[in-house]
Amino acid sequence: MEDKNKVNQVSEDSQSDYILEVRDLKKYFPIKTNVFAKQKGEVKAVDGVSFKIKRGTTMGLVGESGCGKSTVGRTILRLIEKTDGEVLFNGKDIFDINKKDLRKLRTDMQIIFQDPYSSLSPRLPIGEIIGEAVREHNIVPPEEYEDYIDDIMAACGLQPYHKDRYPHEFSGGQRQRICIARALAVNPQFIVCDEPVSALDVSIQAQIINLLSDLQKSRNLTYLFISHDLSVVEHISDTVGVMYLGNLVEYGKKEDIFRNPAHPYTQALLSAVPVPDPDVKMNRIILEGSIPSPANPPSGCKFHTRCSKCMECCRTQVPEVKEIEEGHFVQCHLYND
Amino acid sequence: MANKDKNRHISTSTALDDEQRVKVLSPGMLVAKRFFRNRLAVAGIIILISMFLFSFVGGLLTPYDETQVFKFYDIIEKDYAGAAVNTEFQYYEAEGETFPAVAKAQLILAINNGEDSFVSKDVNYSLINEGKDFYRIVQYQEVARIVTKKGISKLTPAEGETFTSEMESLYLKAVEEGQDTFEYDGTVYHILQNGSTTVIAKAKEISIVSKMMFSAYSQDTVIDYNFRYAAEKAMNTGESRFEVNGSEYEMDLDVEDNSAVFYLLKDGQKIEYALASNMSINAVDKDFLSIEFKAAVLNAIDNGDTSFVFPDKDGTEVEYRLVRKNNQYTIRKYTETELINVYESPSKKHLLGTDGNGMDILTRLMYGGRISLMIGFLVVIIELIIGVILGGVAGYFGGWVDNLIMRFVDIIYCIPSLPLYIIIGSVMDFLRIDPKIRIFILMIILGLLGWPSIARMVRGQILSLREQEFMTATEALGISVRRRIFKHLVPNVIPQLTVIATMDLGSIILTEATLSFFGLGVKFPYASWGNIINAVNNIYVMTNYWFVWIPAGLLILITVLGFNFVGDGLRDAFDPKMKR
Repeated sequence: MEDKNKVNQVSEDSQSDYILEVRDLKKYFPIKTNVFAKQKGEVKAVDGVSFKIKRGTTMGLVGESGCGKSTVGRTILRLIEKTDGEVLFNGKDIFDINKKDLRKLRTDMQIIFQDPYSSLSPRLPIGEIIGEAVREHNIVPPEEYEDYIDDIMAACGLQPYHKDRYPHEFSGGQRQRICIARALAVNPQFIVCDEPVSALDVSIQAQIINLLSDLQKSRNLTYLFISHDLSVVEHISDTVGVMYLGNLVEYGKKEDIFRNPAHPYTQALLSAVPVPDPDVKMNRIILEGSIPSPANPPSGCKFHTRCSKCMECCRTQVPEVKEIEEGHFVQCHLYND
Repeated sequence: MANKDKNRHISTSTALDDEQRVKVLSPGMLVAKRFFRNRLAVAGIIILISMFLFSFVGGLLTPYDETQVFKFYDIIEKDYAGAAVNTEFQYYEAEGETFPAVAKAQLILAINNGEDSFVSKDVNYSLINEGKDFYRIVQYQEVARIVTKKGISKLTPAEGETFTSEMESLYLKAVEEGQDTFEYDGTVYHILQNGSTTVIAKAKEISIVSKMMFSAYSQDTVIDYNFRYAAEKAMNTGESRFEVNGSEYEMDLDVEDNSAVFYLLKDGQKIEYALASNMSINAVDKDFLSIEFKAAVLNAIDNGDTSFVFPDKDGTEVEYRLVRKNNQYTIRKYTETELINVYESPSKKHLLGTDGNGMDILTRLMYGGRISLMIGFLVVIIELIIGVILGGVAGYFGGWVDNLIMRFVDIIYCIPSLPLYIIIGSVMDFLRIDPKIRIFILMIILGLLGWPSIARMVRGQILSLREQEFMTATEALGISVRRRIFKHLVPNVIPQLTVIATMDLGSIILTEATLSFFGLGVKFPYASWGNIINAVNNIYVMTNYWFVWIPAGLLILITVLGFNFVGDGLRDAFDPKMKR
């Protein structure tokens, strides 16, 4: 492990600060009713998303259900193929490498899923679930294997004797810890956390968030934290991206986004965050209607159908991404000159 | 291991500690636990185990063989011999001569027309009537021809023959004495008057034609031509003594029923030599009938008796029954005969009796169980192999592969199975395929038609498992495809596979029984529960011999029930919604 850390440091020195760079990523899913029918259209799940993540930081990705957050997360890991764009991991495009190299690369990038129930194979004991990939990739020599697994489990708050148990014997929080341990076992640099706490109750959420933060500090991990829960994102993130219908409408440092939201959608989202004080009068921005279908997105600015500040140009022209202050990008006509 | 410095890495406060729970059950153990709590399932398991013991161990323990036929001895009245009045001419050919069948037909014609000669195939035969229904057939060879013209006789010897003067003088002497034969040098010459031509000819004996049947007293005696001729002649003339071949014989004639007994006179003693009668008496088997027996039969027929007593070889008196039918008499007697022990009721020797072939039903049930269960298992294994591979490929790879395989499955589903079984069964009958090979062909066909349901199930399961997040996780972890299939997918399909396979076993045993019942499946001499029940297609067996088919029916019922109980139990045990 020490060797690996050394390698990490070396690579940190030699490479740029950014571990991941996403350039104009697009993912369209074809719509087919059956095999013989012609393709009817496509769902534009991710429609041109660009962002960078600095090594050792956390980027939060927020948005409504169905806006393409999870698709971004999975496309970055090449769990699904892209339609267009580039994903540079440590400066290399992960869509350019062959399957063999991709398997090696897998150990550097991991994912933690939302549902801790379906993400663990029900017929394997915990030790096997966590250790399988370790043996597959020869992360540690065979004689150190048991201790290594114990270490990982301990780091995630699991006891060694849990190894022989099966997933159904654990609670949701414990299962999520197992998922984290599984991801950590291959010693990754980057982890996509795909709504890891959404399925857990609030007290467990806190435990898991804290665990993730602790692990980030001790192992110099980089997270892409996908969530629809703004308070969680605020707690854990360094930078935040806001997605709407396949587009990253606002992206910037956490402080900028939460204190000075620029995009009307971000403003509406932030106004909806509940404040645990009955005396505070909320000034909510109510979004009318529901999110349009990504198969048939509105023309111009995709948000114009629900935007309170909609202008004439919003209906026809796609707004450009503007940097309104350093590191704070917005895609909105309000900030066009 | 569990206690090995458990607090080494983390503080107790962060540990989600439930170390007190010592008992760790794997999913398999949980299923087993739930399964054994289900009483019906346990009953099913017990049924199946006992069926296996019955079939596979029972077959080893039973003292009988699968195809052993049981026989017993009984005394029943059987035909022993037959007697008939002979109305056909019998031909006794002289030594070295043949009397062809065509000539026989010509002879009958000649007899009916009262002619004394006939021609058959350029051979001139002469017919000499020696008595009633007693003819001698002679072929004359011309030695010389005397043509008398205007009182002048001219003698011309035939070609290749010599006619000495000595012979001529003998001929003249014979003519003077009015005889039509003369003897010279041991040969008899016949004088045949034919108008103005006289032919002197040698006669060649061809055959005797009569309706008498001769049988010798001793098996070694051969009744030759000369004796037969002399004997029959004696019977016609009534002379009680005659001499043939240097021996003297005496005849005891019974005029009434036209039979005679001949005695050989030797050293002043009368030795029984032969019997002549117009009755022909023959044994049903290849037995030699003694002349005494024949005489006894003739006697009984004469007296009009319906039975008579005759001592057998050991001197024991045996009663024979005489049954008359027109001119035919059948002699019957009680004989000890080997009989097949058919449809014997249950007894100590045969606990479930014997079937229509005299085989022990219990033993056949055991061997039948072997075949039924073996077919069930092998067919399910074939189905599983094909179904899991094709279903797994379709489910895992999806897309056009999935489409192709599933359309193939649809096609297999469209094949009407029963007509196909009937066609294949009759084709196998036509080709006279060995019953043993038939069983294997049957298994393969059942397997080839049975896999689609398994393939569909496996495909559906894998399709849904493939989308589960733990499969995405294995991809993210870079686990190899082989491990992903065999470590992550297959174990999750096993429960459904076990259930479907168990249920299938029952239905395959039923199908096999149905086919065997119709005579399309397992064939005699091999037993299967189905072809044992086949006995009920005889209504008499169905109503009278319950022990032939009820046990086989019960075994099928119980076994299929057992498989279904176990299958249900497994399904419930695998179902996570069932509370422990």
